[in-house]
Amino acid sequence: MTTKRQVMTLTVNGDSHELLVSPRQTLLDVIRGQLGLTGTKEGCATGTCGVCTINNDNGEAFLSCITPALEWDGKAITTIEGLEAGGKLAAIQQAFIDYGAVQCGFCTPGVIMSAQGIVNTLDDPSEDDINDGMAGVLCRCTGHIKVKEAIRNVAKYKS
Amino acid sequence: MHLPDHEFVKPATLADSLALLRSASGEIKLIAGGTDVVYNMRGRLFQPDILLSVRDLAELQGVADTTAGGIRIGAGIRLTDLEHEPRVAAYPALVTAGRAVASRHVRNMATLGGNLCLDTRCWYTNQTAEWRQAKGPCLKNGVAVCHAIKSASVCVALNASDIAPALIALNADITLANVDGERRLPLTDFYTDDGVTHTIRDADELLVAIDLPAPSGRTVFIKETARKGNDFSYAVIAAGGEVAGQRVTGLRIVLGCLTTRPLSLQEPVRIIETRGLTDEAIDVAAAAARDELGPLTNLYTPAAYKSSLARSLVRQALRELRDATP
Ligand SMILES: Cc1cc2nc3c(=O)[nH]c(=O)nc-3n(C[C@H](O)[C@H](O)[C@H](O)COP(=O)(O)OP(=O)(O)OC[C@H]3O[C@@H](n4cnc5c(N)ncnc54)[C@H](O)[C@@H]3O)c2cc1C
Repeated sequence: MTTKRQVMTLTVNGDSHELLVSPRQTLLDVIRGQLGLTGTKEGCATGTCGVCTINNDNGEAFLSCITPALEWDGKAITTIEGLEAGGKLAAIQQAFIDYGAVQCGFCTPGVIMSAQGIVNTLDDPSEDDINDGMAGVLCRCTGHIKVKEAIRNVAKYKS
Repeated sequence: MHLPDHEFVKPATLADSLALLRSASGEIKLIAGGTDVVYNMRGRLFQPDILLSVRDLAELQGVADTTAGGIRIGAGIRLTDLEHEPRVAAYPALVTAGRAVASRHVRNMATLGGNLCLDTRCWYTNQTAEWRQAKGPCLKNGVAVCHAIKSASVCVALNASDIAPALIALNADITLANVDGERRLPLTDFYTDDGVTHTIRDADELLVAIDLPAPSGRTVFIKETARKGNDFSYAVIAAGGEVAGQRVTGLRIVLGCLTTRPLSLQEPVRIIETRGLTDEAIDVAAAAARDELGPLTNLYTPAAYKSSLARSLVRQALRELRDATP
Protein backbone atom coordinates (compact mmCIF):
# COMPACT_ATOMS: atom_id res chain seq x y z
CA MET A 1 0.00 0.00 0.00
CA THR A 2 1.28 3.45 -0.76
CA THR A 3 0.74 6.28 1.62
CA LYS A 4 -2.27 8.36 0.81
CA ARG A 5 -1.54 11.96 1.67
CA GLN A 6 -4.40 14.20 2.68
CA VAL A 7 -4.88 17.94 2.86
CA MET A 8 -5.60 19.19 6.33
CA THR A 9 -5.99 22.56 7.98
CA LEU A 10 -4.36 23.24 11.29
CA THR A 11 -4.31 26.43 13.31
CA VAL A 12 -1.03 26.78 15.13
CA ASN A 13 -0.51 29.65 17.55
CA GLY A 14 -3.32 31.56 15.85
CA ASP A 15 -2.05 31.07 12.28
CA SER A 16 -4.04 28.85 9.95
CA HIS A 17 -2.08 26.42 7.76
CA GLU A 18 -3.14 24.18 4.91
CA LEU A 19 -0.90 21.12 4.90
CA LEU A 20 -0.36 17.98 2.85
CA VAL A 21 0.06 15.26 5.43
CA SER A 22 0.74 11.52 5.37
CA PRO A 23 -1.07 9.19 7.80
CA ARG A 24 2.39 8.16 8.93
CA GLN A 25 3.02 11.57 10.49
CA THR A 26 2.18 12.49 14.05
CA LEU A 27 1.26 15.99 15.10
CA LEU A 28 4.81 16.28 16.43
CA ASP A 29 6.25 15.41 13.01
CA VAL A 30 4.15 18.13 11.40
CA ILE A 31 4.96 20.78 14.00
CA ARG A 32 8.70 20.20 13.85
CA GLY A 33 9.30 18.86 10.35
CA GLN A 34 6.76 20.69 8.27
CA LEU A 35 6.18 23.93 10.16
CA GLY A 36 9.73 24.25 11.46
CA LEU A 37 8.54 24.92 15.00
CA THR A 38 11.32 23.03 16.74
CA GLY A 39 10.55 24.25 20.25
CA THR A 40 8.44 21.15 20.82
CA LYS A 41 10.76 18.19 21.43
CA GLU A 42 10.64 14.47 20.85
CA GLY A 43 11.68 12.33 23.82
CA CYS A 44 10.35 8.82 24.31
CA ALA A 45 7.80 9.03 21.47
CA THR A 46 5.50 6.72 23.42
CA GLY A 47 3.56 9.10 25.67
CA THR A 48 5.64 8.54 28.77
CA CYS A 49 8.02 11.50 29.09
CA GLY A 50 5.81 14.46 28.15
CA VAL A 51 8.43 16.62 26.44
CA CYS A 52 6.25 16.80 23.30
CA THR A 53 3.40 18.43 25.26
CA ILE A 54 1.35 21.12 23.53
CA ASN A 55 -2.07 22.65 24.30
CA ASN A 56 -5.36 21.89 22.55
CA ASP A 57 -8.04 24.44 21.70
CA ASN A 58 -9.34 24.30 25.27
CA GLY A 59 -5.86 25.07 26.56
CA GLU A 60 -5.41 21.55 27.94
CA ALA A 61 -2.04 19.80 27.82
CA PHE A 62 -1.75 16.78 25.53
CA LEU A 63 0.90 14.74 23.77
CA SER A 64 1.79 15.50 20.16
CA CYS A 65 3.97 12.38 19.78
CA ILE A 66 1.06 9.94 20.05
CA THR A 67 -1.47 12.00 18.11
CA PRO A 68 -1.87 11.14 14.42
CA ALA A 69 -1.62 14.49 12.62
CA LEU A 70 -4.75 13.88 10.55
CA GLU A 71 -6.79 13.61 13.76
CA TRP A 72 -6.27 17.31 14.25
CA ASP A 73 -7.67 18.37 10.89
CA GLY A 74 -9.67 21.55 11.44
CA LYS A 75 -8.44 22.05 14.98
CA ALA A 76 -6.17 24.48 16.77
CA ILE A 77 -3.09 23.99 18.92
CA THR A 78 -0.68 26.14 20.86
CA THR A 79 3.03 25.31 21.02
CA ILE A 80 5.76 26.86 23.15
CA GLU A 81 6.37 29.41 20.36
CA GLY A 82 2.82 30.71 20.80
CA LEU A 83 3.04 31.71 24.45
CA GLU A 84 4.94 34.93 23.99
CA ALA A 85 2.75 37.81 22.77
CA GLY A 86 4.02 41.10 21.35
CA GLY A 87 7.55 40.53 22.61
CA LYS A 88 6.34 39.84 26.13
CA LEU A 89 6.81 36.45 27.72
CA ALA A 90 3.77 34.69 29.16
CA ALA A 91 3.41 34.75 32.93
CA ILE A 92 4.48 31.11 33.22
CA GLN A 93 7.65 31.72 31.18
CA GLN A 94 8.72 34.66 33.35
CA ALA A 95 7.96 32.66 36.48
CA PHE A 96 10.16 29.79 35.22
CA ILE A 97 13.04 32.23 34.68
CA ASP A 98 12.70 33.95 38.03
CA TYR A 99 12.33 30.74 40.02
CA GLY A 100 15.17 28.97 38.23
CA ALA A 101 12.92 26.20 36.95
CA VAL A 102 15.19 25.42 34.00
CA GLN A 103 18.42 23.47 33.76
CA CYS A 104 19.57 21.93 30.47
CA GLY A 105 16.37 23.10 28.83
CA PHE A 106 15.51 20.10 26.68
CA CYS A 107 12.30 19.24 28.51
CA THR A 108 11.46 22.87 29.27
CA PRO A 109 9.00 23.45 26.39
CA GLY A 110 7.06 20.35 27.41
CA VAL A 111 7.26 21.24 31.07
CA ILE A 112 6.06 24.80 30.41
CA MET A 113 3.20 23.66 28.15
CA SER A 114 2.15 21.21 30.89
CA ALA A 115 2.23 24.04 33.43
CA GLN A 116 0.34 26.27 31.02
CA GLY A 117 -2.31 23.54 30.83
CA ILE A 118 -2.81 23.95 34.57
CA VAL A 119 -2.88 27.77 34.29
CA ASN A 120 -5.41 27.57 31.45
CA THR A 121 -7.82 25.19 33.16
CA LEU A 122 -7.65 26.12 36.87
CA ASP A 123 -7.84 29.53 38.50
CA ASP A 124 -6.32 28.58 41.81
CA PRO A 125 -4.61 25.19 41.49
CA SER A 126 -4.03 23.23 44.69
CA GLU A 127 -0.86 21.25 45.40
CA ASP A 128 -2.72 18.13 44.22
CA ASP A 129 -3.76 19.88 41.01
CA ILE A 130 -0.15 20.86 40.33
CA ASN A 131 1.10 17.31 40.96
CA ASP A 132 -1.68 15.97 38.76
CA GLY A 133 -0.85 18.33 35.92
CA MET A 134 2.90 17.72 36.08
CA ALA A 135 3.09 13.95 36.70
CA GLY A 136 3.06 13.24 32.97
CA VAL A 137 6.21 15.17 32.13
CA LEU A 138 9.73 14.32 33.23
CA CYS A 139 12.77 16.49 33.89
CA ARG A 140 15.99 14.55 34.41
CA CYS A 141 18.16 17.47 35.53
CA THR A 142 16.41 19.65 37.99
CA GLY A 143 13.34 17.73 39.10
CA HIS A 144 9.98 19.28 39.83
CA ILE A 145 10.72 21.36 42.97
CA LYS A 146 11.61 24.63 41.21
CA VAL A 147 9.02 23.97 38.56
CA LYS A 148 6.28 23.68 41.16
CA GLU A 149 7.52 26.84 42.88
CA ALA A 150 7.18 28.70 39.59
CA ILE A 151 3.66 27.38 39.05
CA ARG A 152 2.60 28.24 42.62
CA ASN A 153 3.74 31.80 42.03
CA VAL A 154 2.53 32.32 38.48
CA ALA A 155 -0.45 34.43 39.64
CA LYS A 156 1.98 37.20 40.59
CA TYR A 157 2.97 37.56 36.95
CA LYS A 158 -0.48 37.73 35.46
CA SER A 159 -1.27 41.29 34.50
CA MET B 1 10.17 6.92 13.68
CA HIS B 2 7.11 7.40 11.53
CA LEU B 3 3.98 5.33 12.06
CA PRO B 4 3.58 2.28 9.84
CA ASP B 5 1.88 2.95 6.56
CA HIS B 6 -1.92 2.99 6.63
CA GLU B 7 -4.96 4.85 5.44
CA PHE B 8 -6.56 7.27 7.91
CA VAL B 9 -10.33 7.73 7.78
CA LYS B 10 -12.65 9.72 9.98
CA PRO B 11 -16.33 9.20 9.12
CA ALA B 12 -18.68 11.98 10.21
CA THR B 13 -21.32 9.74 11.78
CA LEU B 14 -21.65 6.52 13.72
CA ALA B 15 -23.70 5.00 10.88
CA ASP B 16 -20.93 5.74 8.38
CA SER B 17 -18.36 4.26 10.75
CA LEU B 18 -20.35 1.04 11.17
CA ALA B 19 -20.88 0.75 7.43
CA LEU B 20 -17.15 1.09 6.84
CA LEU B 21 -16.33 -1.44 9.57
CA ARG B 22 -18.52 -3.95 7.76
CA SER B 23 -17.40 -3.23 4.20
CA ALA B 24 -13.71 -2.38 4.45
CA SER B 25 -11.23 -4.84 3.03
CA GLY B 26 -8.01 -5.35 4.92
CA GLU B 27 -7.32 -4.97 8.60
CA ILE B 28 -9.12 -2.06 10.17
CA LYS B 29 -8.32 -0.65 13.58
CA LEU B 30 -10.48 1.73 15.56
CA ILE B 31 -8.75 4.70 17.12
CA ALA B 32 -10.29 6.93 19.78
CA GLY B 33 -7.83 8.81 22.01
CA GLY B 34 -5.03 6.92 20.30
CA THR B 35 -2.95 6.64 23.47
CA ASP B 36 -2.78 2.86 23.14
CA VAL B 37 -3.16 2.48 19.38
CA VAL B 38 -0.39 4.90 18.41
CA TYR B 39 1.89 3.48 21.09
CA ASN B 40 1.32 0.00 19.66
CA MET B 41 1.80 1.21 16.09
CA ARG B 42 5.11 2.78 17.04
CA GLY B 43 6.16 -0.58 18.49
CA ARG B 44 4.93 -2.24 15.27
CA LEU B 45 2.52 -4.38 17.26
CA PHE B 46 -0.36 -2.94 15.26
CA GLN B 47 0.09 -2.48 11.52
CA PRO B 48 -3.46 -2.00 10.30
CA ASP B 49 -4.33 -1.14 6.70
CA ILE B 50 -6.87 1.40 7.89
CA LEU B 51 -7.22 3.51 11.01
CA LEU B 52 -10.85 4.47 11.60
CA SER B 53 -11.10 7.43 13.97
CA VAL B 54 -14.10 7.58 16.30
CA ARG B 55 -12.61 10.34 18.44
CA ASP B 56 -15.03 13.06 17.45
CA LEU B 57 -18.21 11.03 16.92
CA ALA B 58 -21.03 12.97 18.61
CA GLU B 59 -23.01 9.73 19.10
CA LEU B 60 -20.35 8.42 21.50
CA GLN B 61 -20.36 11.49 23.73
CA GLY B 62 -22.35 12.50 26.78
CA VAL B 63 -23.78 10.99 29.92
CA ALA B 64 -27.54 10.50 30.30
CA ASP B 65 -29.94 9.27 32.98
CA THR B 66 -31.60 5.94 32.28
CA THR B 67 -35.16 4.92 33.09
CA ALA B 68 -33.70 2.33 35.48
CA GLY B 69 -32.33 5.14 37.64
CA GLY B 70 -28.77 4.64 36.46
CA ILE B 71 -26.68 6.36 33.84
CA ARG B 72 -25.53 5.66 30.28
CA ILE B 73 -22.04 6.88 29.45
CA GLY B 74 -20.98 7.34 25.84
CA ALA B 75 -17.93 5.20 25.05
CA GLY B 76 -16.15 8.19 23.51
CA ILE B 77 -16.10 10.29 26.67
CA ARG B 78 -12.61 11.54 27.50
CA LEU B 79 -11.28 10.43 30.87
CA THR B 80 -10.80 14.08 31.91
CA ASP B 81 -14.46 14.78 31.15
CA LEU B 82 -15.52 11.63 33.00
CA GLU B 83 -13.83 12.97 36.16
CA HIS B 84 -15.80 16.20 36.00
CA GLU B 85 -19.17 14.76 34.99
CA PRO B 86 -21.60 15.38 37.88
CA ARG B 87 -23.64 12.22 37.26
CA VAL B 88 -20.52 10.07 37.53
CA ALA B 89 -19.74 11.45 41.00
CA ALA B 90 -22.37 9.05 42.41
CA TYR B 91 -19.98 6.17 41.52
CA PRO B 92 -16.81 6.96 43.50
CA ALA B 93 -14.95 3.80 42.44
CA LEU B 94 -15.31 4.85 38.81
CA VAL B 95 -14.06 8.37 39.50
CA THR B 96 -11.06 7.04 41.43
CA ALA B 97 -10.25 4.46 38.77
CA GLY B 98 -10.55 7.02 35.97
CA ARG B 99 -8.17 9.36 37.77
CA ALA B 100 -5.71 6.53 38.33
CA VAL B 101 -5.09 6.11 34.60
CA ALA B 102 -1.75 7.39 33.28
CA SER B 103 -1.29 11.17 33.49
CA ARG B 104 -3.35 14.32 32.98
CA HIS B 105 -1.77 14.60 29.54
CA VAL B 106 -2.96 11.11 28.59
CA ARG B 107 -6.39 11.56 30.20
CA ASN B 108 -6.88 14.73 28.17
CA MET B 109 -6.77 12.43 25.11
CA ALA B 110 -7.85 8.97 26.25
CA THR B 111 -11.44 7.71 26.18
CA LEU B 112 -13.41 5.33 28.35
CA GLY B 113 -14.15 3.02 25.40
CA GLY B 114 -10.47 2.88 24.51
CA ASN B 115 -9.65 1.99 28.09
CA LEU B 116 -12.09 -0.93 28.11
CA CYS B 117 -10.76 -2.21 24.77
CA LEU B 118 -7.12 -1.51 25.63
CA ASP B 119 -4.82 -4.18 24.23
CA THR B 120 -3.41 -6.74 26.66
CA ARG B 121 0.21 -6.27 27.74
CA CYS B 122 3.15 -8.62 28.11
CA TRP B 123 6.74 -8.10 29.27
CA TYR B 124 7.93 -9.65 26.02
CA THR B 125 5.66 -8.10 23.39
CA ASN B 126 5.52 -4.60 24.84
CA GLN B 127 9.08 -3.80 23.85
CA THR B 128 10.37 -2.06 20.77
CA ALA B 129 10.29 -3.90 17.45
CA GLU B 130 14.12 -3.98 17.48
CA TRP B 131 14.20 -5.53 20.95
CA ARG B 132 11.79 -8.27 19.90
CA GLN B 133 13.85 -9.16 16.83
CA ALA B 134 16.20 -11.35 18.89
CA LYS B 135 13.51 -13.87 19.75
CA GLY B 136 11.03 -13.09 17.04
CA PRO B 137 7.25 -13.11 16.87
CA CYS B 138 4.86 -14.86 19.24
CA LEU B 139 1.19 -15.75 19.60
CA LYS B 140 0.35 -12.04 19.29
CA ASN B 141 1.69 -12.12 15.74
CA GLY B 142 0.02 -15.38 14.78
CA VAL B 143 2.98 -17.64 15.57
CA ALA B 144 2.42 -20.56 17.98
CA VAL B 145 5.20 -19.53 20.37
CA CYS B 146 5.05 -17.78 23.72
CA HIS B 147 8.24 -16.16 25.03
CA ALA B 148 6.66 -15.16 28.33
CA ILE B 149 5.62 -18.62 29.51
CA LYS B 150 7.34 -21.29 27.45
CA SER B 151 4.61 -23.89 27.72
CA ALA B 152 1.70 -21.52 27.05
CA SER B 153 -0.52 -22.44 24.11
CA VAL B 154 -2.77 -19.44 24.63
CA CYS B 155 -1.45 -15.87 24.87
CA VAL B 156 -0.94 -14.94 28.53
CA ALA B 157 -0.69 -11.17 28.06
CA LEU B 158 -2.52 -9.32 30.81
CA ASN B 159 -5.49 -7.02 30.85
CA ALA B 160 -4.12 -3.57 31.64
CA SER B 161 -7.28 -1.52 32.12
CA ASP B 162 -7.64 0.26 35.45
CA ILE B 163 -11.27 1.11 34.79
CA ALA B 164 -12.68 -2.28 33.72
CA PRO B 165 -12.44 -3.81 37.22
CA ALA B 166 -14.17 -0.76 38.73
CA LEU B 167 -17.00 -0.93 36.20
CA ILE B 168 -17.40 -4.69 36.70
CA ALA B 169 -17.64 -4.14 40.45
CA LEU B 170 -20.34 -1.56 39.67
CA ASN B 171 -22.27 -4.18 37.63
CA ALA B 172 -21.84 -2.26 34.38
CA ASP B 173 -23.29 -3.39 31.06
CA ILE B 174 -21.87 -2.42 27.70
CA THR B 175 -23.53 -1.99 24.33
CA LEU B 176 -21.85 -3.03 21.11
CA ALA B 177 -23.22 -1.90 17.76
CA ASN B 178 -22.82 -3.00 14.18
CA VAL B 179 -24.78 -2.20 11.02
CA ASP B 180 -27.42 -4.77 11.94
CA GLY B 181 -28.15 -3.39 15.39
CA GLU B 182 -26.98 -3.50 18.97
CA ARG B 183 -26.30 -6.07 21.66
CA ARG B 184 -26.02 -5.41 25.37
CA LEU B 185 -24.07 -7.59 27.80
CA PRO B 186 -22.47 -7.44 31.24
CA LEU B 187 -18.98 -5.94 30.94
CA THR B 188 -17.57 -8.96 32.74
CA ASP B 189 -18.66 -11.17 29.82
CA PHE B 190 -16.82 -8.93 27.35
CA TYR B 191 -13.40 -10.35 28.26
CA THR B 192 -11.80 -13.72 27.45
CA ASP B 193 -8.83 -15.73 28.71
CA ASP B 194 -6.90 -15.32 25.47
CA GLY B 195 -4.52 -12.36 25.33
CA VAL B 196 -4.81 -12.12 21.55
CA THR B 197 -8.58 -12.06 21.13
CA HIS B 198 -9.07 -10.64 24.58
CA THR B 199 -12.62 -9.39 24.04
CA ILE B 200 -15.62 -10.93 22.31
CA ARG B 201 -16.06 -7.84 20.11
CA ASP B 202 -16.67 -8.85 16.50
CA ALA B 203 -14.50 -7.12 13.91
CA ASP B 204 -17.46 -5.08 12.63
CA GLU B 205 -18.59 -3.94 16.07
CA LEU B 206 -18.06 -0.70 17.93
CA LEU B 207 -18.43 -0.18 21.66
CA VAL B 208 -20.99 2.61 21.93
CA ALA B 209 -22.06 2.93 25.56
CA ILE B 210 -21.60 1.81 29.14
CA ASP B 211 -24.66 1.43 31.38
CA LEU B 212 -24.52 1.64 35.15
CA PRO B 213 -27.40 0.65 37.42
CA ALA B 214 -28.66 3.10 40.02
CA PRO B 215 -25.90 3.80 42.53
CA SER B 216 -26.24 1.65 45.65
CA GLY B 217 -24.09 0.42 48.49
CA ARG B 218 -20.41 1.17 48.81
CA THR B 219 -17.60 0.78 46.32
CA VAL B 220 -13.85 1.09 46.68
CA PHE B 221 -10.96 1.11 44.22
CA ILE B 222 -7.22 0.80 44.90
CA LYS B 223 -4.32 0.89 42.43
CA GLU B 224 -0.81 -0.34 43.14
CA THR B 225 1.97 0.77 40.85
CA ALA B 226 5.65 1.71 40.82
CA ARG B 227 5.12 5.45 40.51
CA LYS B 228 2.09 7.45 41.51
CA GLY B 229 1.69 9.02 38.09
CA ASN B 230 1.78 7.83 34.49
CA ASP B 231 2.30 4.14 35.06
CA PHE B 232 0.45 0.97 34.24
CA SER B 233 -0.63 -0.90 37.34
CA TYR B 234 0.99 -3.84 39.06
CA ALA B 235 -2.53 -4.61 40.18
CA VAL B 236 -5.81 -2.89 40.90
CA ILE B 237 -8.77 -3.97 42.95
CA ALA B 238 -12.37 -2.81 42.99
CA ALA B 239 -15.02 -3.99 45.41
CA GLY B 240 -18.64 -3.17 46.03
CA GLY B 241 -21.64 -4.33 47.99
CA GLU B 242 -24.46 -3.47 50.36
CA VAL B 243 -22.76 -3.07 53.72
CA ALA B 244 -24.55 -2.97 57.07
CA GLY B 245 -22.07 -3.19 59.92
CA GLN B 246 -20.14 -6.40 59.28
CA ARG B 247 -22.80 -7.92 57.05
CA VAL B 248 -22.46 -7.53 53.34
CA THR B 249 -24.68 -8.69 50.48
CA GLY B 250 -24.25 -8.48 46.72
CA LEU B 251 -20.48 -8.40 47.21
CA ARG B 252 -18.22 -8.07 44.18
CA ILE B 253 -14.42 -8.19 44.37
CA VAL B 254 -12.57 -7.71 41.10
CA LEU B 255 -8.80 -7.88 40.66
CA GLY B 256 -7.32 -6.24 37.58
CA CYS B 257 -4.00 -6.31 35.70
CA LEU B 258 -2.90 -9.68 37.13
CA THR B 259 -4.70 -11.92 34.65
CA THR B 260 -5.80 -11.85 31.03
CA ARG B 261 -9.34 -10.93 31.99
CA PRO B 262 -10.33 -8.84 35.00
CA LEU B 263 -10.86 -11.48 37.67
CA SER B 264 -14.09 -11.57 39.67
CA LEU B 265 -13.24 -13.49 42.84
CA GLN B 266 -15.64 -16.29 43.86
CA GLU B 267 -14.49 -18.02 47.03
CA PRO B 268 -13.48 -14.81 48.88
CA VAL B 269 -16.95 -13.43 48.18
CA ARG B 270 -18.57 -16.60 49.54
CA ILE B 271 -16.43 -16.45 52.67
CA ILE B 272 -17.28 -12.83 53.43
CA GLU B 273 -20.96 -13.16 52.63
CA THR B 274 -21.21 -16.12 55.03
CA ARG B 275 -18.91 -14.93 57.79
CA GLY B 276 -19.17 -11.15 57.56
CA LEU B 277 -16.47 -8.50 57.39
CA THR B 278 -14.58 -9.57 60.50
CA ASP B 279 -10.79 -9.23 60.55
CA GLU B 280 -10.43 -13.03 60.63
CA ALA B 281 -12.82 -13.64 57.74
CA ILE B 282 -11.08 -10.92 55.73
CA ASP B 283 -7.72 -12.65 56.24
CA VAL B 284 -9.16 -16.00 55.17
CA ALA B 285 -10.78 -14.42 52.12
CA ALA B 286 -7.54 -12.65 51.18
CA ALA B 287 -5.62 -15.93 51.38
CA ALA B 288 -8.23 -17.67 49.23
CA ALA B 289 -7.82 -15.11 46.44
CA ARG B 290 -4.48 -16.62 45.44
CA ASP B 291 -6.06 -19.90 44.32
CA GLU B 292 -8.18 -18.14 41.72
CA LEU B 293 -5.35 -16.26 40.03
CA GLY B 294 -3.67 -19.09 38.11
CA PRO B 295 -0.02 -18.78 37.02
CA LEU B 296 1.42 -15.33 37.70
CA THR B 297 4.64 -15.45 35.77
CA ASN B 298 3.96 -12.78 33.15
CA LEU B 299 4.83 -9.10 33.39
CA TYR B 300 7.43 -7.10 35.23
CA THR B 301 7.13 -8.30 38.83
CA PRO B 302 7.88 -11.73 40.34
CA ALA B 303 5.03 -14.16 40.99
CA ALA B 304 5.68 -14.19 44.73
CA TYR B 305 5.30 -10.43 44.88
CA LYS B 306 2.11 -10.48 42.85
CA SER B 307 0.67 -13.22 44.97
CA SER B 308 1.20 -11.28 48.18
CA LEU B 309 0.07 -8.09 46.47
CA ALA B 310 -3.23 -9.71 45.55
CA ARG B 311 -3.67 -10.90 49.10
CA SER B 312 -3.00 -7.50 50.65
CA LEU B 313 -5.17 -5.68 48.12
CA VAL B 314 -8.11 -7.96 48.93
CA ARG B 315 -7.54 -7.36 52.62
CA GLN B 316 -7.23 -3.60 52.18
CA ALA B 317 -10.28 -3.32 49.92
CA LEU B 318 -12.51 -5.33 52.25
CA ARG B 319 -11.43 -3.30 55.28
CA GLU B 320 -12.09 -0.07 53.41
CA LEU B 321 -15.47 -1.37 52.36
CA ARG B 322 -16.32 -2.12 55.97
CA ASP B 323 -14.87 1.03 57.52
CA ALA B 324 -15.81 3.63 54.89
CA THR B 325 -18.34 6.13 56.09
CA PRO B 326 -21.54 5.39 54.16
C1 LIG C 1 2.33 6.54 29.24
C2 LIG C 1 1.04 5.79 29.30
C3 LIG C 1 0.56 5.35 30.52
C4 LIG C 1 -0.64 4.64 30.59
N1 LIG C 1 -1.10 4.27 31.81
C5 LIG C 1 -2.28 3.63 31.92
C6 LIG C 1 -2.80 3.28 33.19
O1 LIG C 1 -2.22 3.59 34.22
N2 LIG C 1 -3.96 2.59 33.24
C7 LIG C 1 -4.66 2.26 32.11
O2 LIG C 1 -5.73 1.67 32.23
N3 LIG C 1 -4.20 2.59 30.88
C8 LIG C 1 -3.04 3.27 30.76
N4 LIG C 1 -2.56 3.62 29.51
C9 LIG C 1 -3.24 3.12 28.31
C10 LIG C 1 -4.24 4.07 27.68
O3 LIG C 1 -3.75 5.39 27.70
C11 LIG C 1 -5.59 4.08 28.37
O4 LIG C 1 -6.02 2.78 28.62
C12 LIG C 1 -6.64 4.85 27.56
O5 LIG C 1 -7.84 4.93 28.30
C13 LIG C 1 -6.94 4.24 26.20
O6 LIG C 1 -7.95 5.03 25.60
P1 LIG C 1 -7.81 5.64 24.13
O7 LIG C 1 -9.08 6.32 23.82
O8 LIG C 1 -6.59 6.46 24.01
O9 LIG C 1 -7.64 4.29 23.31
P2 LIG C 1 -7.13 4.04 21.84
O10 LIG C 1 -5.66 3.98 21.83
O11 LIG C 1 -7.77 4.96 20.87
O12 LIG C 1 -7.75 2.58 21.63
C14 LIG C 1 -7.41 1.50 22.47
C15 LIG C 1 -8.04 0.21 21.91
O13 LIG C 1 -9.45 0.29 21.98
C16 LIG C 1 -10.04 0.18 20.69
N5 LIG C 1 -11.18 1.09 20.70
C17 LIG C 1 -11.17 2.40 20.99
N6 LIG C 1 -12.42 2.91 20.99
C18 LIG C 1 -13.25 1.87 20.70
C19 LIG C 1 -14.67 1.73 20.57
N7 LIG C 1 -15.50 2.77 20.75
N8 LIG C 1 -15.18 0.51 20.25
C20 LIG C 1 -14.35 -0.56 20.09
N9 LIG C 1 -13.01 -0.49 20.21
C21 LIG C 1 -12.46 0.71 20.51
C22 LIG C 1 -8.95 0.51 19.71
O14 LIG C 1 -9.13 -0.14 18.47
C23 LIG C 1 -7.72 -0.03 20.44
O15 LIG C 1 -7.57 -1.41 20.23
C24 LIG C 1 -1.37 4.35 29.41
C25 LIG C 1 -0.88 4.79 28.18
C26 LIG C 1 0.31 5.50 28.11
C27 LIG C 1 0.79 5.97 26.79
